[in-house]
Amino acid sequence: MLTRFHLELGFAGLVLLIGATGLVGSSGLDFGWGADGPRAGYFPFRVAVILVAMATLVAVQAIINRAALRRVVVAEPEGLRRVLGFGLPIIGLVLVAQWLGLYVAMALYLLVVIRWQGRRPWHTALGVALGVTVVTFLIFEIWFQVPLLKGPLEIMLGLG
Amino acid sequence: MLANIDSLMHGFTVALTGYHIMLMVGGVLLGILVGVLPGLGAPNGVTLLLPLTFSMDPVSAIILLTSLYWGALFGGSTTSILFNIPGEPSSVATTFDGYPMARQGRATEALTYAFLSAGFGALVGIIVITLLSSAVASFALRFGPPEYFAVYALAFASFVAFGGGAPVKTIIALGLGFGFGMVGTDTVSGSMRLTFELDQLIRGISFLVVVIGLFGLGELLLTIEEGPEFKGASGRIDPREMFRAAARMPRYWFAMLRGSAVGVWMGITPGGPTAASFMSYGIARRTSRNRDNFGKGEPEGVIAPETADHSAGTAAMLPMLSLGIPGSATAAVMLGGLMIWGLNPGPMLFLEQRDFVWGMIASMYLGNVIGVVLVLATVPLFAAMLSVSFSIIGPIIVTVCMVGAYTVAGAPFDLWLALAFGAVGYLMKKLDYPLAPLILAMVIGDKAEDAFRQSMLSSSGSLGILWSNWLAGTLTTLAILFLCWPFVALLLGRRSAAEVAITPAAGHEENRA
Repeated sequence: MLTRFHLELGFAGLVLLIGATGLVGSSGLDFGWGADGPRAGYFPFRVAVILVAMATLVAVQAIINRAALRRVVVAEPEGLRRVLGFGLPIIGLVLVAQWLGLYVAMALYLLVVIRWQGRRPWHTALGVALGVTVVTFLIFEIWFQVPLLKGPLEIMLGLG
Repeated sequence: MLANIDSLMHGFTVALTGYHIMLMVGGVLLGILVGVLPGLGAPNGVTLLLPLTFSMDPVSAIILLTSLYWGALFGGSTTSILFNIPGEPSSVATTFDGYPMARQGRATEALTYAFLSAGFGALVGIIVITLLSSAVASFALRFGPPEYFAVYALAFASFVAFGGGAPVKTIIALGLGFGFGMVGTDTVSGSMRLTFELDQLIRGISFLVVVIGLFGLGELLLTIEEGPEFKGASGRIDPREMFRAAARMPRYWFAMLRGSAVGVWMGITPGGPTAASFMSYGIARRTSRNRDNFGKGEPEGVIAPETADHSAGTAAMLPMLSLGIPGSATAAVMLGGLMIWGLNPGPMLFLEQRDFVWGMIASMYLGNVIGVVLVLATVPLFAAMLSVSFSIIGPIIVTVCMVGAYTVAGAPFDLWLALAFGAVGYLMKKLDYPLAPLILAMVIGDKAEDAFRQSMLSSSGSLGILWSNWLAGTLTTLAILFLCWPFVALLLGRRSAAEVAITPAAGHEENRA
């Protein structure tokens, strides 16, 4: 079971990491104050310092109030399962889109998710997957002429 | 004032073409759709549509986007009342009394109150814009870089002092926004910042992709966690009941006026519609004669947040147009749109782009009237649409978000970014980190930095220029006071350290109960 205490610490850690990355990134730049005001790295460096400091503050306060925060359950196991079940296939969608293109990826994603997660019959899943993909193609490629990411299939079909 | 009326009439001649009215109807309908669907809200609805407007004429583009915004504000209330699921964060407060009313079989009444009071609030907001915007703009024409920096600083600082979130978390959200906004080429020196020699980061991180992640995917994950089942009251509208409710509206004139005042104030200062609706609900509940009935289906509990929500939504356009400072997350996205269309937001718009400014203001009158009519007419349709299971609608929304993220710049890498920001948005929402300051900081952070560095160039590096005249001096001092206020309150013992760092003050919590 995930409590507010752990989540507070986790996110403060993430902010700390982002801040530290910012420190590393801006230390390569000139972060001083020149004759005519701040240099390129001045603000990135200070923003990074503020992020590190504030994240530490949140973490310290979370630890001080840990007794109260531990009682707050932020996610029930069942809810968390739903979130992961919904979120992980999106990672798959993005991964597949990188090499097969967005159209193929979204059709596969819709088919898989609606068939197995939604437990819908094959014809519903197939209908939605193909319908949404075709409508997207018509709207973007034909109507607004905004090309979307394409892969080998579209090139094979002569649509790329 | 008279000159403004004159300009407004001119604006109507720009806005009232068949093509523009068609765009308004289309925009409002899309907006209602976006507002009704959880996970798609006004900020990312506008974001998703933005790439499609790049080839349009700016007036038509802004009419389409603002109409979508009005539609989304209306649509969000529909689901709040019928399903107890806020379609928009800003319509959460509407669920408190709207849903109980619907459960009692008074759905028509609640919806009528919601839409008419929302329309009223929007009207008040637009009238304020009509009367004040050009005065604010002509005042702002005298601004130099120091004054601009001071105004930006004040906008950021007022989030910390009045945003309603824990101040430390608001500062983190602002800092993250500044940081992500800085990635890419530095506009002053031309050097690369925070790119870590990654090709994908050279063009920077687009705030549009961040909006899609934070507000789109993040919101979807939250909805899915709660296990959304659209089991609600029937969306059938009884026309006779509707007219009877409309006739009772004048009885609530005071609640409507108070809600509008709260909304206009929160929209102009960057509090935004969500904070405005909670605040208005809280005030109404504390001061109303029917306060015992609040939470059990009190009409005033629907009217108060709805008027504030919409007047804040419209009033947020005032600082966006006349100062170039957005008053809400959605206005921030539109501001980004203005820059992409090649317009320079700020007071010069009123001189150089008269057609654009007044055409947009005129379209706001019409767009909201169209909004009220269309939303009343389409409630049954959209309510029926939600009865399609979320296990089908949810994944479709995901693909819409991903397509939107790709169209921003045509970069496959942006899909990963949207995904990452979706996870971040989910966590931030869980932990009461405010999202709007992050977007605001991303959109105007580099403008603030430019203004600061230009001021320093003209003063050869002396900070004194920020106090060189009474205007810049007052604004800068106020900004510093606002920024320090939570910490001063902490030292004075008015607030506990946990309130400053972890969760908002108890007063805000009470409003949410």
